[in-house]
Amino acid sequence: MDPTLQTFENDVWWIALIKVLGVFVLLLLLTLFTINYERKVVARMAVRPGPNQVGPKGWLQSLTDGLKLPFKEEIIPRTADKVIYFIAPVISATCAFTAFAVIPFGPVVSIFGQQTALQVTDVPVSVLVVLACSSLGIYGVVLAGWASGSTYPLLGGLRSSAQMISYEVAMGLSIVAVFMMSGSMSTSEIVAAQGDGREVSLFGLDFTAPGWYAVLLAPSFVIYAISAVGETNRAPFDLPEAESELVGGFHTEYSSFKFALFFLAEYINMITVSALCTTLFLGGWHATWPITLWSGANTGWWPMLWFLAKVLLCLFVFIWLRATLPRMRYDQFMRFGWKVLIPVNLVWILLLATVRVLQTSDLEAQTRFTLIGAAVLVVVLVAVLWPSGKKAAPAPSLAEQIAARPQGSFPLPPLDLQVPPSPRVARQVAERQPADVSSDRSEV
Amino acid sequence: MEDLKAPSIDYAAVAPILILFGAACLGVVVEAFVPRRARHAVQLTLALLATLAGLVVVITQASTRVTTAVGALAIDGPAVFLQGAILVLALVSLLLMGERKLEPGGAFVPQAAITVGSEADERQAARAPGLTEVYPISLFAIAGMLLFVAANDLLTMFIALEVFSLPLYLLCALARRRRLLSQEAALKYFLLGSYASAFFLFGVALVYGFVGAVDLASIHTAAAESDRDPLLLYAGLALLSIGLLFKTAAVPFHVWTPDVYQGAPTPVTAFMAACTKVAAFGALLRVLYVGFNGLSWDFTPILGVVAVLTMIIGAVLAVTQTDIKRLLAYSSIANAGYLLVGVLASGERGLASTMFYLVAYGFSVLAAFAVVTLVRDADGEAGHLSRWAGLGRRSPLIAGLFTFILLAFAGIPLTSGFISKFAVFAAAMEGGQTWLVIAGVISSIVLAFPYLRVVVMMWLSDPSDATPTVSVPGVLTTAALAIGVAMTLLLGVAPSLLLDLTTGAAEFVQ
Amino acid sequence: MSFSPYVPIVALFVLGALFALFSVSIAPIVGPKRYNRAKLDAYECGIEPTPQPVGGGRFPVKFYLTAMLFIVFDIETIFLYPWAVSFDALGLFGLVEMVLFIGTVFIAYAYVWRRGGLNWD
Repeated sequence: MDPTLQTFENDVWWIALIKVLGVFVLLLLLTLFTINYERKVVARMAVRPGPNQVGPKGWLQSLTDGLKLPFKEEIIPRTADKVIYFIAPVISATCAFTAFAVIPFGPVVSIFGQQTALQVTDVPVSVLVVLACSSLGIYGVVLAGWASGSTYPLLGGLRSSAQMISYEVAMGLSIVAVFMMSGSMSTSEIVAAQGDGREVSLFGLDFTAPGWYAVLLAPSFVIYAISAVGETNRAPFDLPEAESELVGGFHTEYSSFKFALFFLAEYINMITVSALCTTLFLGGWHATWPITLWSGANTGWWPMLWFLAKVLLCLFVFIWLRATLPRMRYDQFMRFGWKVLIPVNLVWILLLATVRVLQTSDLEAQTRFTLIGAAVLVVVLVAVLWPSGKKAAPAPSLAEQIAARPQGSFPLPPLDLQVPPSPRVARQVAERQPADVSSDRSEV
Repeated sequence: MEDLKAPSIDYAAVAPILILFGAACLGVVVEAFVPRRARHAVQLTLALLATLAGLVVVITQASTRVTTAVGALAIDGPAVFLQGAILVLALVSLLLMGERKLEPGGAFVPQAAITVGSEADERQAARAPGLTEVYPISLFAIAGMLLFVAANDLLTMFIALEVFSLPLYLLCALARRRRLLSQEAALKYFLLGSYASAFFLFGVALVYGFVGAVDLASIHTAAAESDRDPLLLYAGLALLSIGLLFKTAAVPFHVWTPDVYQGAPTPVTAFMAACTKVAAFGALLRVLYVGFNGLSWDFTPILGVVAVLTMIIGAVLAVTQTDIKRLLAYSSIANAGYLLVGVLASGERGLASTMFYLVAYGFSVLAAFAVVTLVRDADGEAGHLSRWAGLGRRSPLIAGLFTFILLAFAGIPLTSGFISKFAVFAAAMEGGQTWLVIAGVISSIVLAFPYLRVVVMMWLSDPSDATPTVSVPGVLTTAALAIGVAMTLLLGVAPSLLLDLTTGAAEFVQ
Repeated sequence: MSFSPYVPIVALFVLGALFALFSVSIAPIVGPKRYNRAKLDAYECGIEPTPQPVGGGRFPVKFYLTAMLFIVFDIETIFLYPWAVSFDALGLFGLVEMVLFIGTVFIAYAYVWRRGGLNWD
């Protein structure tokens, strides 16, 4: 049975408490599992065994790591702002936990004789709750970077805040299409709206195509997936923690359990965006076609299994990306977010809106054609006016570069200076690229 | 959800506002896509055409008397008249802004973000053409003013206030010369302006607390009929008035005026002195005459004190000024006082005379600032009064025109200044506000002194080496100056042309 | 007995906060303490740490610009949400209004783009 918003208002307090505790424990377990999962998958992809010592087949590795951390010395830098330094990991972890309150795990089931939905709670603005939590989580990162009183964390914190807010816009826009199709912001209703698929006949085989928004709203799904990776600071967008540039990024100065909290928050965020992705685009807890041949697939506790399977699949993609792709450069990354994701998203929303108006409302033929014409016109205009990258000016020759240098620049040695080859080295000097000596960049 | 309906909007009535906003957006597009060389010409043409188009539409709408957009906008006699006035004055100001002959590149800085005094700054000050964003920004400001005088509920009024204020703050910071002064002025204006906006918004909240609505008609009804303790309403009105009086530069909310007038680029100063005043008084008139006219017995004494203070302090402080732009700023404060006298005269006479005063003063002040842009030396405009000594010998024409303008400010007959002051004072007498008239006459006498001092200095002193030259104005400044002077003369000789118009327009719709 | 469906969200928030606070408070107590002056310096891979300017110092204006752009687009997004939820009820009117709104934001966007506000180099 599909839950409605009413279902959640009828929950008894102890049922709600059980669900809250259940989600909390589940999140901790999932985190421990995901860390091991990631390490093992990455190891397989790199053709090495991965953790295999602690516990059965190494599955307790992350638990022991976690238990070890509190017993490590905690170092607080002298320059740190103590209070904020202390509070930042708490903010990160708390926000990460809270977001999971509105994720639906399954339909209405019976717990100790009480009918209740497998979801902590649902409100008319559930998706906003998730977004709000992920935005507030950014404070943890920024404040951690700022309060450490150290250069690398500061830069890492700034970078990650700029990155997260940039990709939050793209993420926020990508789910507009979902709201448009489902007519609701409540997660359980969005899941319900994806429940009824269409009957499709292919090669003489009758099956139900999933009503998943990942299929119906493919562009939104792609944008969501990309921005989710950016939003969680995962590879290939893990610039805030680019260890080759910034050591550890915003948590360089954190140690002991405070560091563990950041680690925990990062993994929970990953699980959250995967769960949100499942809910918004992959049909939530609804089983998909071959399973639906069994009539009991969407009843009882089974849907939780489908849900977790989908979440793990999303997590697998995260890990896969990390194992495969190199880190992007920061300017490329920001350019991609602002110049590709956002405009594509806006145009897509308008196109979808136009199509939907054409489908649903009974318009006169003239209005209809005007609309179609306008939509086509807009697309063509955008395509034509799309600010193309400036054609790279031909690289100035060495003489031009020297002439362009401002007055009072450092003197240059003569360009035709011939260094006599050392008599003891009898090899030829390799030809090199002419050096770039223009010290002053032209202003835009 | 199903009964969601689009509000009916009388598009013809709001067309001037839409034209200006559309043109401003178009200006931003031009800024983005037109090559730098062509931008100035395109932008200036666009701005002038848009203003002209708006003006034409306003004229065709002259007899419109409606409220539209669910009562948020009132396009009535005063609104149409004041919109027309704003557009005409803005047109002249745009001519001043467009001038690029006097200073290579115009009066605006090429790149406002470059650090003042740096090498790059010196390079750009010398030759680079000025920002062309000023035209779309000005168009946004003008459109906001048009909305402001037509706003029939307090929230729309607040939005309009912000829409026309924010561009003005920006414009103030864009002077090519004395950039630090300009930026300081902009920051002061921004901070104080934000306070004033906050006061206004707080006032809206209090009034809403009393009335339960923000549209002026409901406020009028509630003020007349409600039997609750009107303290909330009085407090709300007081805060609203503070917000509006700040924009009109009335004492004690005037402190920003001299600094901003001095620091802002002179064309922008002219724009603010002429158009902002019209917009601010337009809104003040509407709030007091439509929303709160039932309380006029209560607010007249207090606003009367403000008016007297404004006139006296503006006049007295003008006497002590040594910079021409500061002098004009204090003169503008004093004039705000005279305008307040017109507002408090109440009734149709008061409304008509205030509107006449706004237009007459707007043209004179535009002409005055046009002259200020012309008197220059190597450092830009020669602001200090001592530098103007002997200007009459060097450039009799410009000095003559400026003398005429100053005489108009002083209220000498045969100028628009005389007629407008006379109209305002007569209306106030009729409205029983004799004490305001007495204070007004006294302050006029005081205020005549600084004007005459400048006149004496220009004509009766010998030119020294420090006397700046008068630059040959370009077509645009010439046109602006000519229009300003001609209108000052015309309204002085044949005031009935405009007086009939204002009298015909002097009725608000509820 | 029924209560607001927002209460469980608060409950989970409190639970998470308690857990986090508990763990950050317990760690300094159970962990070892071996004082070493060098440990308390800011970590910069072994070189002398850069002195921190008072108030955090200055950082590139790009970050401020990004923040401002974020606000513009975030507010746009916020306006889009209720519109999207009640889109079917609004119909053609809603579409036209939103085209105008997005168009206006797009103008600003094109301006920022052309002026190099979106470049990071």
